[in-house]
Amino acid sequence: MKVEYINPFIKATVNTFKGFLGAELKAGKPYLFDKGNNDIRYDISGIIGLAGDVRGSVVISFPKLVALKVVSDFLSQEIKIFGDDVIDTIGELINIITGNAKKDLENYRIMISLPSIIKGPNHQINWMQGVPVITIPFESKYGPVYLFLSMKA
Amino acid sequence: MKILVVDDSRIMRNILKNILKESNIDENSIIEAQDGREALNIVQKEDIKIILLDWNMPKLNGVELVKIIRSDENLKHIPIIMVTSEAAKYNVMEAITAGVTDYIVKPIKGEIVKKKVQEYLKG
Ligand SMILES: [Mg+2]
Repeated sequence: MKVEYINPFIKATVNTFKGFLGAELKAGKPYLFDKGNNDIRYDISGIIGLAGDVRGSVVISFPKLVALKVVSDFLSQEIKIFGDDVIDTIGELINIITGNAKKDLENYRIMISLPSIIKGPNHQINWMQGVPVITIPFESKYGPVYLFLSMKA
Repeated sequence: MKILVVDDSRIMRNILKNILKESNIDENSIIEAQDGREALNIVQKEDIKIILLDWNMPKLNGVELVKIIRSDENLKHIPIIMVTSEAAKYNVMEAITAGVTDYIVKPIKGEIVKKKVQEYLKG
């Protein structure tokens, strides 16, 4: 996976949280995701597939409590149910992040899928075979947020 | 005279509706659709003054809907403001070629949506 793919997504994630929620996100150092051995926790993921000059997927994942805080802040009301509002908001978040990142990847023509959502403690994600997954950890006032990128030209 | 808000995200439709309400647009004159096909049915029946239109939606996407509307003699005059996450220049060009009137990139700023809607309401 090319390093030049990473920064547009970091920038788009930071800008989307800022624009969507007025929240500051601090990106940590990207690292290779070890599918068999990872110590991070997440309960919900928003996933977008990429097609065209670059193929793969972009995933944003949250622990349940972080997701509930993000969505509560976004809707300006306390959301306690891990349901439709959370699914809708996280789907739209990853849609905006991916659409915005394309702006800084204009050497490639990329089509994006509709968002899909997976819930469940440390659920499995169907990554493309043989393509590494990069984890970008973010810190926020809500708690940890993770972006996963798995892309190939 | 109605304003049509089309987005597959209900949360996004609510945000847009609230922005319109803040612009003193009567809630009863706002109609929602969750995909392009539903939007097309509404456009064919109602007197729509402006469409706020998402791009990435199931069944019929925003740009496909724009092409259909622009090739229909009875509908082609309706201003369409695309409100989308698609920020790449080639996407903006594709939407303009299809016939959108204006283009707003998400995450949206309420002020910009208000300004543009007022502009096309005055028409
Ligand atoms: Mg959409």
